[in-house]
Amino acid sequence: MLSSEILSYITFVYFISFLFYLLMMVMGKEVFGRLATFITVVSFAGHTFAIALRWIESYRLGIGHAPLSNLYESLIFFAWTIVLLYLVVEWKTKNKTIGTFATPLAFLAMAYASYSPGINSSIQPLVPALKSNWLIAHVITCFFGYAAFGLAFGLSLMFILKKLDHPKRDSFFLRIIPEPPILDELSYQMVVIGFLLLTLGIITGSVWAHSAWGSYWSWDPKETWSLITWLVYAAMLHSRMVRGWKGNKLAAMSIIGFCCVLFTYFGVNYLAGLHSYAQS
Amino acid sequence: MSDHALEGKFKSFYLWSAFSSIKLTLFLLILLAVVSIFGTLIPQQEGAMELAEKLSPGLVRFLSSVQIFDMYHSIWFRLIIGALAVNLVVCSLDRFPSSLRRFRSVPKADREKLFENLPPERRFPVKTRIDQAGEIVASVLKTKYKNLQKKDGSTGTFYFAEKGRYTYFGVYLVHLSVLLILVGGIIGSLFGFEGFASIPEGEGVDKVILRKSRTPKPLPFTVRCEKFTVEFYPNGAPKEYRSDLVFVRDGRIAFQGPLRVNHPITFEGITFYQSSYRPVAGDKVRIKLTRDDGNPEPSTLELTRGNAIELPGKEGRIQILEVSSDFRGLGPAALVSVHPHEGATKEFWIFQNFEMIRKRFPSAMLRSPSLDPSAFKPYTFSLEGVEMKYATGLQVSRDPGVPLVWSGFTSIVIGLFVTFFLFHRMIWVRLAAGKKGVTVAVAGMGNKNPVGMERELDTLVDQLGTKLQEPKSS
Repeated sequence: MLSSEILSYITFVYFISFLFYLLMMVMGKEVFGRLATFITVVSFAGHTFAIALRWIESYRLGIGHAPLSNLYESLIFFAWTIVLLYLVVEWKTKNKTIGTFATPLAFLAMAYASYSPGINSSIQPLVPALKSNWLIAHVITCFFGYAAFGLAFGLSLMFILKKLDHPKRDSFFLRIIPEPPILDELSYQMVVIGFLLLTLGIITGSVWAHSAWGSYWSWDPKETWSLITWLVYAAMLHSRMVRGWKGNKLAAMSIIGFCCVLFTYFGVNYLAGLHSYAQS
Repeated sequence: MSDHALEGKFKSFYLWSAFSSIKLTLFLLILLAVVSIFGTLIPQQEGAMELAEKLSPGLVRFLSSVQIFDMYHSIWFRLIIGALAVNLVVCSLDRFPSSLRRFRSVPKADREKLFENLPPERRFPVKTRIDQAGEIVASVLKTKYKNLQKKDGSTGTFYFAEKGRYTYFGVYLVHLSVLLILVGGIIGSLFGFEGFASIPEGEGVDKVILRKSRTPKPLPFTVRCEKFTVEFYPNGAPKEYRSDLVFVRDGRIAFQGPLRVNHPITFEGITFYQSSYRPVAGDKVRIKLTRDDGNPEPSTLELTRGNAIELPGKEGRIQILEVSSDFRGLGPAALVSVHPHEGATKEFWIFQNFEMIRKRFPSAMLRSPSLDPSAFKPYTFSLEGVEMKYATGLQVSRDPGVPLVWSGFTSIVIGLFVTFFLFHRMIWVRLAAGKKGVTVAVAGMGNKNPVGMERELDTLVDQLGTKLQEPKSS
């Protein structure tokens, strides 16, 4: 499949852009950052093209459907949403340091998709349960939500790393990381966006479940874990209103929250149930 | 007030302040999250039976009594949710008055203080006369904002406008939505039902088996499955399941149509979902008869259950009483009844996998009259084939809580959007006439999103600047 070939190369291009962001952080030279952004944008264009190509390829095979239906396609889409969201954030904040923490997420997702032996990249037809318009709405909202939480996670890591910086320490890497209040504010905004999208994701999933299985909530592991993730981020949003809950606690919650996201995405496949991606 | 009454007041005050605490909210949200994790690691409901077999009976009894195997429907889980709901209500009631006050408070149009340390980019001179400038300012503000006010102050003429005052209530809409969803869930579980029906092709049912109690629930109508179709892709994965259903009410066909996955059918308030299917034995069998007397020619009979036909040698009549796709794990089987013209009727089971059975089981067992294919001499009967058809598996349910839940879903999305993405902005514009002309100054305040507020003020300054410098057309 041409699309999956292209995507396996894009994986490496994201890694290269990560290296350039890192180089910028370590050497302190602007030019590396500009190069990194350029490579990321070009790579993203290729990534978008490959996804569209896969969609077209599926129609050529006679089993046309949006490329959102199995673990491989979801990983590719997840990486795509991370990069898109990151590029928007970089454009709005003019800050390239976040790229060092965002591009690895995209790279890892793509690498897992393209190179893991357990993941099948062939285009498969949709089984009856997946033949629904809700598929597109549910997958898109969930993964954009995950991407926002992923960026918040990266920002929280930066926040914690920044704590190690002080005037006597001569690390350009740490120095160039934005100030904690900025990271905190940006991380909060990402969580807000992610929370709205995750809510939409859970809702579209519920409505779909109701039309497919007759029950909008059946406490299966995937549904339950998405709720657990939702509760953790809801707690994080509320904690802003509690005096004394400063940056560290919020950064910790953001990291825990993203761990819940990862478990919701990957971990539940090991717990079986209606949602299991395993075997696709 | 007596000591007792005072004590009571203290206690209720304490309870109220405990439940209006956001720290409690944090605690309950995290508690609910952590507790929910266990339900995903410990098998629940049907899946728990396997685990239960491996544990000691005493432990299983104990765990069942604390409802570990159905924890999401357990009392203590519901108590946590209930506490969260109470917390939500109390917090909202507690904070609503101050939100209402903010909503109702009328800001002063002539707020001199706002203009004291205004950054230079928010101030610009214009050549227009102050009254014309005022009209233009008013018209620009009117198109973008609401509640325009004008007041003459000591340092100039003030204009005030605002937008999004209602956004203070966004958070209450979110909380109300959560309650709506919870209430919808409660109504569904109290007044709805969930059941299952298995309908072989060509047959109908007028009751469903309830999922929780495993008891039958009658329906006020009959559902027939005329035909079940399953199609597969070339790679063997299922492509479509379709049941052609007919709904019969008082003896007449009230509705008929195809049922597919993701396309349920609702009839008289009860919804049917295509869930599963299984092969079942039909009514036709094919039997081979061999004679162990002179005549070596085997003959084949095709029989429909219930119809008796003459044996080829006219010894009597043969009838199939029952057909099974899997008789006690031994494979397809049929219950044969032979009624000779003279003598007693013989009934015995015959099996399609007879050779395999004969190897597995001692031959003495197969001499037992009800399992002996040669029970009616001179014939030996063997089962060649059993017609297979499908029985469709349907999920059947009614959930009167669903409209509430859907409303809750809609309103929570609106509420979240209003709470986080919209904000209350107040704009003041001051026109001051001086020796050099009129100076326009723009200031603003928002209850959230300082960056967005700055952007909005920048845009307004640009707009006013452009409009006020325009040459006036007569």
